[in-house]
Order: sequence, then structure tokens, then C-alpha cells
Amino acid sequence: MSQSKKDQATESAQTAAETQATQAIQGSDLVEELLDLDHLDLSVEAIDERISPSETNVFDK
Amino acid sequence: MKTRFPISLIFPPQGHFTQPYLALPCLKAWLQQAGFDDVQVRDLSIEAYDQFLSPAYLQYAADKVQDRLPLERWDTVESLPFADMGAWRGALESGLTAPTLIADIEASKALVRGEGFYDADAYIPAMRAIYQGLRLVSAAHFPSELTPHNFTMRYANDRSHEVLAATVDEVENPFVRYFRQEILPGLIERRPRVLGMSVIYGSQLIPALTLGRLIKAALPECHVTAGGGFLAYIGAKLMQAPGIDACLDSMIFHEGEAPLQALCEALRAGEQDLSRVGSLTWFDRSQAGHPCVENPPGHPVHLNKAPVPDFSDLPLERYFSPEVVLPYDINRGCYYGECAFCTLPTVIGPGYRTRSADTIASHVLELRDRHQTTHFNFITDCMPPGMIRDLPEALIENQAGITWWSDARVEPKAYDAEGAQRLFDAGCRKLLFGFETATPRLLKMMKKGQSLRSVSEVVKNCAEAGISVTLYAMVGFPSETREEARATLQYIEDSVPYVREVSLQTFHIDEVALTYREPERFGIRILDDPEADLQLYHDYESEVGMTQGEAAEMFEEMMTRFAEVLPIFSGDSILYFMQKSHYFLHLAKGMHPDAFAAACVARAERGTPLPAGSDVRVRPGLVAQPLRHSYRRVLRTLHDPLARAARPDFLTGRYVGEADRIAAENLSPAPYEPRVLVYDPVQHEFVELSADSWKLLGAIERAGSLGALLAKSGPQTAAGRRALAGFLGELLRLRILVPEGTMELPDYVLPRQEPANVPATHA
Repeated sequence: MSQSKKDQATESAQTAAETQATQAIQGSDLVEELLDLDHLDLSVEAIDERISPSETNVFDK
Repeated sequence: MKTRFPISLIFPPQGHFTQPYLALPCLKAWLQQAGFDDVQVRDLSIEAYDQFLSPAYLQYAADKVQDRLPLERWDTVESLPFADMGAWRGALESGLTAPTLIADIEASKALVRGEGFYDADAYIPAMRAIYQGLRLVSAAHFPSELTPHNFTMRYANDRSHEVLAATVDEVENPFVRYFRQEILPGLIERRPRVLGMSVIYGSQLIPALTLGRLIKAALPECHVTAGGGFLAYIGAKLMQAPGIDACLDSMIFHEGEAPLQALCEALRAGEQDLSRVGSLTWFDRSQAGHPCVENPPGHPVHLNKAPVPDFSDLPLERYFSPEVVLPYDINRGCYYGECAFCTLPTVIGPGYRTRSADTIASHVLELRDRHQTTHFNFITDCMPPGMIRDLPEALIENQAGITWWSDARVEPKAYDAEGAQRLFDAGCRKLLFGFETATPRLLKMMKKGQSLRSVSEVVKNCAEAGISVTLYAMVGFPSETREEARATLQYIEDSVPYVREVSLQTFHIDEVALTYREPERFGIRILDDPEADLQLYHDYESEVGMTQGEAAEMFEEMMTRFAEVLPIFSGDSILYFMQKSHYFLHLAKGMHPDAFAAACVARAERGTPLPAGSDVRVRPGLVAQPLRHSYRRVLRTLHDPLARAARPDFLTGRYVGEADRIAAENLSPAPYEPRVLVYDPVQHEFVELSADSWKLLGAIERAGSLGALLAKSGPQTAAGRRALAGFLGELLRLRILVPEGTMELPDYVLPRQEPANVPATHA
């Protein structure tokens, strides 16, 4: 990532972090015109932490 | 006039929360039989879980997190170092989950305790809420962690000065405040003459000594004693630790019935000299310096004459299960007693003793009628072949009408097809066999006395009779190679569906096992930690085979594969496996293991079907937090073997020396990486989105629906359409997006799937 892009990204995220501590989606103030459905990073990552590998021997405990 | 002599028997936190423990009901019944008529049993583990998972306590925890770990602390941090990751995670999660958990926790507990338990779509979110609630409690006491299966602090369990320091840590030890506010007032009012604690797990050590210290300070005349499996290992060392006499007056080793009776009789008679109480180690407070006196061992009781355990004091309705599963000990010790790695027969007490099948049946009938339950967990290392035949016959003859589960040893003659069917007919629904490894060379070294062929036969016979089979397996036995561990994995894989669950454990050496006493036989060199005065478990170096670190890596590989091949380990179905009796209760209600496995597979594989003509909306109520670092990346780092080594070991409570420094040096900080963490307050799950994904979700929300948004504009390229379809499919699966309303959506976005064919819940 170039320095200028990195600065832009940093600034954008800092703005988001500063304006929204915890926000419900209803209150999102992100502007719609930024949406370009052909060039979005639409990654979604489920947090699959349903078992802690170190806690598998659970019958005795 | 009769002297009042109240006795309180306490099970200290932490034990699991699905069913009561057995030791104290056995002791109460024994003491009552001996004439002590004021014996109180309390399970402070379930009481604490219930209290911590209450709206008031969770609010207290949330406030404490905000005070101790404000998330703003990391607002200007460019990269998040490993040392900060645990605290950051606790702060982040707590902020997102607390309001929902405070509102929902009582309903979640009620669901698990009621008929809703049997509906997986209700049960899984409720159990997740309980897990998240405990994460909130833990964050409040960071870095302490209370989970459904463990309690650990920053203090090492194998150093007495750390353990004793933990007992007075008001900030990080949640039990100081809990005991002082919730438990001590009642005990002060009751003024027990003897308070006995059952400490069977390492996770109970700090809470037990915390309570002992508070009792000794408030009621100096109360004799505080403790016993149980974990103390049988380390008790002799613990009683020599400087300062331990502020928490305890004595300790009972091995079986508790006879020593506790003798101790109570001596104290009731006003005796200060306790030297006649067998199996007791005690502080002689009549002497200067309170010297520690170790009495000779006493005789074990005649088990067949022991009375029916008395569960009457326990709050059976508070356990996190819809129906109570009562533990009952059919024997004590192990009739085989040869396995080189196993030390349980040593700590339980001398010799092997059993009750007769008729006595067991009689006691079971009495417990069944007394507590209106037909579910039992028979506590045994293993049943000898004769009992495998006699007990089912006695239960059938007495029309016990119960269901039960227990541990077992592979006995091919006893678990033949006929024997397995007889067990099923007598209510056996699940057996857990000590399998360990598929390598004959290692089985011989372990002195396991079983062949792979016999394992296969027994597993098949039991499975075909309808009994669910669990295998205990081990990785990292001295000299085991990666190839041999993979052979074990392959054997288990080939044994599906006969095998339903695997309880995998990395090998540990404790000071009682043959592997510690005769290390040269196993080609290992034992490492000592001179600073660990309570050391029970030891690291070792092996001449051949995997190192301990390599065994930990192999453990990960095996668990990953189990999640792929064992239905009950798939997806969120794993929560059934994680809770002691929960899967069993489904079997007890009439579900066949095949049907349960099929339901697990269907649950793990299903997407969310989108009915034709249905539109899609954003699930209301989602809570989100913009992040400067990826939560998922942080979790991955925290789960790295190096990071886990920096936490106390699950089984042993030990810290690996220098692990913190090594982890900090080797694990990369989380870089600046803008993300949004979404918490689903219905499913109680987290989903991490890219900033763009979050924007799109917001756009759908503002447009009213996906259809409304796409009516205005959609992706123009094939790649854009594929990305959108993937996004929608995943968020539908995660229920972040839900079908609602009608609209003909473009075909390219539709992850339309047929509903999975989930079998009927119960036969």
C-alpha cells in the first residue's frame, strides 16, 4: 500500500472510530454514494470459536 | 442435652455446571448414618455460576470492565502487540455484548433448564449466551478466566506463594467478593464446627483456599478441612507451604468417609489431639508454630455398606440441564490398574472395591423415586466383566426404567453383541472407552492390555446395540511419532460412525505415574522446576518421537480433522459435546445416535433457504463496533500454541516458563486493519466484516431491503455479481440477513437452497 493510500485509509478508519463507539446499524452515517458494487471488498468472516482446542477433554470437568 | 454440631460440606468453584457432583452427598449420607444429624451440603460452583450469570452481576462486570479496560486505551495504537491482545479482546467483546446479555441471560438459563433445551435452534444460542456471559465476567477480572470448564488466574497453581497471593487478590479473584458478600454471612449465622471442602480439580484450588481463609478469619473456632482427588496429588506439599495454615486446619487424603467421621467425632468430643484420625494431616495448634502432623492412613470403608448418597441439600433445579443426571459410584478404584499413564487408582485410595449389583439397583431405585429422575451417570473407572453382565440384569429385573452413561474399559468378551444389547436394554445410552492410541507398540508400552481388534469389536457391538461410543485418545505419549499419531487419527476416522465422540488429550506426566517413576523405561528425561513447590506435572525431553511442542501441534491437526469427520464436532454442534450430560439427555429421551449425528450434519451444512420470490432484509438489532485491528486475526494469534503456552494449561494449571516472553517475541502484533465487528444479539455470535461489507449492509438497511437497493443499481460485472452472491449467501447463513417481504431478486445473487432434511427430533 502506498503511503498516500495508507494515510487515506488511516484517516477514514479513524473517523469511523471517533464517530461511532458502538453503533446500531440503523444509525449508520456512511454515505451511499461510496457504493460501487463492482469494486467492493465484500469479505465476511464468521468467528468460529465454538471450541477452545485446549478445552476438549471436558468430560471430567 | 445434645450438643449442637453443625457440619458444612462445600464443593468450591469451579466444576462444570450441568449436573451435581457425588463426593459430598456420599459424605453427608455417611455422617448421618454415623449419627451426625446437622450436615449441610452446598455446591458453591453452581451457586457462583448462577449468581455470576445474573443481570445484576453482569452489570457489575460490565461497569468493572469499563473501569479497568476502557477500549479507548487502544484508540491511538497503530499496531496491537501480543501482550495487549487479551485485554483488548475482553474490552471489545464486553462493550458489544453486555447490554444484550444483561437483558437475556435469565431467559437463556431458563431455556437450557427447560424443554427448549431439546430444540437445537434455541439451545445453541442460549449456550452461547452463557459462554459470552462468562467471557464478560472474565473480562471484569482480567486476566483471570472463568469458563464452563475451567478457572485460571495469572497465578501459577504449582507455586504456593502464588496460590496464596491469589486468595487475597480482590481485583482479579472474583470469588473474594462473591464469598464475602454471598456466602460468608450465611455460614457465620450457621457457625459450622467443621467445614469440609471437596477439591477434585486444580481449578478449585484457589477458590477453595480463598474460602478457607475467609472462614478462618471470621470463624476461628470452625475446623476447616479439605480433601478430594486433586489434593490427593499435591496435598502433602501444600500442607508444608508457609502460610497455608491461615486457610486450612487439616487435610484428608483419599477416601473421605472414615477420616471425616473420625475427625468430627474427635472435635465433637473436644479433643485437640487429632493424631488418631486416620489419613489426616493437620496443624497442631496447641503447639508453638502449629507443626504439621501427618497421621498414618486409615482403612477404606466397605463400599457395599455405604448408604445411598444424599443429594437433598443440592439445588438440583439450578444446574444448567433440563433434567437432573445423578452421579452414582458403582465401584471405587480400578480392577485393572496397570495403565502406565494413569494415576487415578492411586489417588482415589487403596485397592479396588465395588458395590454389589443388587445394592446398586436398590440405591438407584431409591434415588430415582426420591428425586424423580431416571437419568444416571455411573461413576467408575471401568466396570469389571462380571458387573457388565450383573448390573444390567439387576436393573432389568428391578424394572429400574432408567438411562445411564459411564466410563468403560475395552472388555471384548463382556461387550459382545449380546452383552451390548443387554446393556442397552438396561438403559445404557453412552459408554466412554479408554482407547488412547491405534499403535500396538504404544499400547504395549502403556500396559493397556487391549488390542485394536478388540477395540473395533467392542465399539461395533455397542454402536449396533444403539449405545453411543466415545473414545478417550491421547497424543504425545513418550516416543510417539507424528506418523503414529496420524495412524490414530486414521483409525478413528475409519471407525465413524461407530465412534461418535473423541476426548483427545495431550500426554502429561504427573509425579504418581509410572512414566515419572521409571522414566528410563520410556526413553525420557524428566525436567524439574525447583521453584514449583507444588509441582505435580513435569515437562520432559524424549530421546525419540515428538517433542511436547510437536505433540501440541499434532493435537491441533487431529482436532481439526475431528471437526470434519465427527458429526457432533461439526459447526456449532460441538456445544453438545462440550457439556457433560447434554448429548446424553437427547439419547435418554429416545433419540438414536444416528439421528442425532444426522441432525448435527444437517445443522452444520445448511444454508438459509431463500423462498422463491422472497426479498432480504438486515436482521434488526445488530450491534457493531468499528475496529482498528482485525478481531479475527487477534483470535488466531491468541489461539497460536505459543500464545496458549502463555496461559495456564487447561489440565494442569501450570505456566510454561518464559512463555510470555517467547510469545511476545515470536507472535506478530495485529497491524492497523480497519474492520467492523458485528454482534448478533439473537444468535450471540460475532461476525467480522470488511469496511465495504459494512457499508453495503448499511445501504441495504437504508434502502429497506436488498431488492429495493438492487432496483436502483447493481453490479455490472460478473466478478461483482459473484462477490455479491457470496456476501449474501454467507450473511444469510449467519442470519445477519433474513428473508422478509416479497421481491423477484436477480438470479445471480440468489443462494437458494433447499431446506436440509433434518430428522425428527426424537424417535
